[in-house]
Amino acid sequence: MPGFDFSNHTRNAALHARGVPLPKATSTGTTIVGCIFDGGVVIAADTRATSGPIVADKNCEKLHYIAPQIWCAGAGTAADTEFTTALISSQLELHSLSTGRKPRVVTCMTMLKQHLFRHQGHIGAYLVVAGVDPTGVGLFTVHAHGSTDKLPYVTMGSGSLAAMSVFETQWKATMTEQEAVTLASNAIQAGIFNDLGSGSNVDVAIITKDKTTLKRGYVKPNERSKKQKSYVFKRGTTAVLNEKIITKEEISKYVTVHELEGGETAVGEKMDIDA
Amino acid sequence: MSAMFSQNPLMNGPNYSFNQAPSTAAAGNKEHGFYPYTDNGGSTLAISGSDFTIVAGDTRSTSGYNINTRYSPKVFKIGGTTSSQDDATLVLSVVGFAADGEALKERLDAIVKMYRYQHGKPMSVKACAQRLSTILYGKRFFPYYVTAILGGLDEEGNGAVYSYDPVGSYEREQCRAAGAAASLIMPFLDNQVNYKNQYIPGSGVGHALVEREKIPLGRTEVEDVVKDAFDSAVERHIEVGDGLQMFVITKSGIEEKYLPLKRD
Amino acid sequence: MFIARSEYDRGINTFSPEGRLFQVEYSLEAIKLGSTAIGVATGGGVVLGVEKRVTSSLLETSSVEKIVEIDRHIGCAMSGLQADARSMVEHARVESQNHAFHYNEPLRVESCTQAICDLALRFGEGADGEESIMSRPFGVALLIAGYDEDGPQLYHAEPSGTFYRYDAKAIGSGSEGAQAELQNEFHKSLTIEEAETLVLKTLKQVMEEKLDSKNVQLASVTKERGFRIYTDAEMAVVVERLPAN
Repeated sequence: MPGFDFSNHTRNAALHARGVPLPKATSTGTTIVGCIFDGGVVIAADTRATSGPIVADKNCEKLHYIAPQIWCAGAGTAADTEFTTALISSQLELHSLSTGRKPRVVTCMTMLKQHLFRHQGHIGAYLVVAGVDPTGVGLFTVHAHGSTDKLPYVTMGSGSLAAMSVFETQWKATMTEQEAVTLASNAIQAGIFNDLGSGSNVDVAIITKDKTTLKRGYVKPNERSKKQKSYVFKRGTTAVLNEKIITKEEISKYVTVHELEGGETAVGEKMDIDA
Repeated sequence: MSAMFSQNPLMNGPNYSFNQAPSTAAAGNKEHGFYPYTDNGGSTLAISGSDFTIVAGDTRSTSGYNINTRYSPKVFKIGGTTSSQDDATLVLSVVGFAADGEALKERLDAIVKMYRYQHGKPMSVKACAQRLSTILYGKRFFPYYVTAILGGLDEEGNGAVYSYDPVGSYEREQCRAAGAAASLIMPFLDNQVNYKNQYIPGSGVGHALVEREKIPLGRTEVEDVVKDAFDSAVERHIEVGDGLQMFVITKSGIEEKYLPLKRD
Repeated sequence: MFIARSEYDRGINTFSPEGRLFQVEYSLEAIKLGSTAIGVATGGGVVLGVEKRVTSSLLETSSVEKIVEIDRHIGCAMSGLQADARSMVEHARVESQNHAFHYNEPLRVESCTQAICDLALRFGEGADGEESIMSRPFGVALLIAGYDEDGPQLYHAEPSGTFYRYDAKAIGSGSEGAQAELQNEFHKSLTIEEAETLVLKTLKQVMEEKLDSKNVQLASVTKERGFRIYTDAEMAVVVERLPAN
């Protein structure tokens, strides 16, 4: 069963009409930019994700992989940018396999716009598509309703105006890779500091004919300062109101229990936490 | 292109407490809206000690995703005899709609100054607290859209903090956070100032645990708590940042401190 | 001169060439016709005393109200046109309640006196658009007694709108003699009881009728009990204390 599941639509519309608010999606309230240079293209993004006025993620990734030489910067609803790029990435790979050619940026852009147009703007993905293919360097924007632009420098997201102000004052028709990266980074920083929807760090992806370089945390201008006080609590500070011990025998009815060998330590998923 | 920018997802994405876009009327009818309020974000905080009160606020002013200015004070000295307010003993913080905050501050300041002339004595925090309440309630049906906190020293010289809702309900408290990041800061204050949810380890089991003893915090400790509260609020709230303004009220006067905050 | 004077008597707010406001001056004369009222301030409180002129044996003396409460901590005694005092006291009461409502603290005695005096000059024609004001000056003087953060205080307010603070003050028909007596007898270390005695003793000297517990009234303002009019029993005790003659 391909596509979306609409089985809750009628129920949700009824609930909404009775005043139940819609669930709040995480928005990558964002600054994303792209800029071509002699021999390639650079895209950059900030790393703040918001839910309303709250920062949901201080260091999220807004640069998405499509193909080895095609990357996408996404703004809008986080889930939509992630799923749309992943879907198109998958389809583009199959397309590349069946045609036996390297994927092209225009192809990617066309697939994205057709997908988004079909869904009439309900998929809130606003993308900057960039890459290098056998036809040369490609840089596009794709809006959620399906419209596209092809330009030498582009910006999107809530910080697009701040970022564009940098491009409009400093962009040159011929630039080296380093010049373009610095320009893109400055444009993102304009968004980070002047747009509340954008913040934290600058991620950069540089795509040339030969290789793609993803520079996560290319600039980190917003490191957290050291806390004045220590907030370590003595063990036992929190009241334990009741306690239930589940034995290994009981839990093994539901999950598989592995015994760790001596000296071996279990490694869970690492999580970023504040110092 | 320009038409597309208005379709920016972020304009209808996050939900704010104030709906700035006029709601559409039934087809054919044109509804004229009057939206005199805006939310300018930011947060304030006040903590009273045994012989001092600290009132603090960030200095960012926002509208939507824009920063209006990085330095717009939300904390004001009230009722001094000179324009510099050097000899003031009261501090008012206002957060919410900046224009109303400014108007409220000007009005309270004028009233406190008039009081000194009329009664030949400086106004006490208790009297000012009640007066501020009557001012706010006076606009019950067209409120000053602000959360106010009043700080000073009471007649015994103890720190005093009074907090308000926009229509004048007030209460004297040990500490209070207000504004955009109030829900982020207030639980931290409950835990670090009033030691809520902190028990003495091993003092009992379950409900029998003994609560951690409440020792009034000293001035430097309170300053540290305020700094940490704002640094943390800046990390997680987009409308808080740029600068931290702090007024420390003691019997020898009011000391002002300014610290930079993150600007992203 | 006499003719000129009568001309300047017409306009209530008109200065005479000598710089006098005759109607205001006449209002002060009205007070001199009034019954005597005395106030004495001590460290522990203020005592007010008035003579009630019992003009008829059929008069219910308790209906003669010459000492009234303004707030729990302020009271006043009057001499002159009693009806005028009613509106002054009403104004003072409103002012006092407003202050408590707005500031959650009692009104200071001086501020209360000032509020009353603000009212005193609101007579005459008034400027355009100003709401109704009085046609003539008040014909009454007040002795305002109160207790606030600065301790017990006694003020004298006149129809001219001026007021002064006194340690001891007498107003009304017997005021000249009474003031001279107070001048001799007052000292800073008086107790409340001594002040009660002094007030009654002084009243007794200037009253035409023979003083008894029915034709005089006492009230006091203290930190502990605020403003209080003495009961008949209390009056009797103080009268009993007076030296006989």
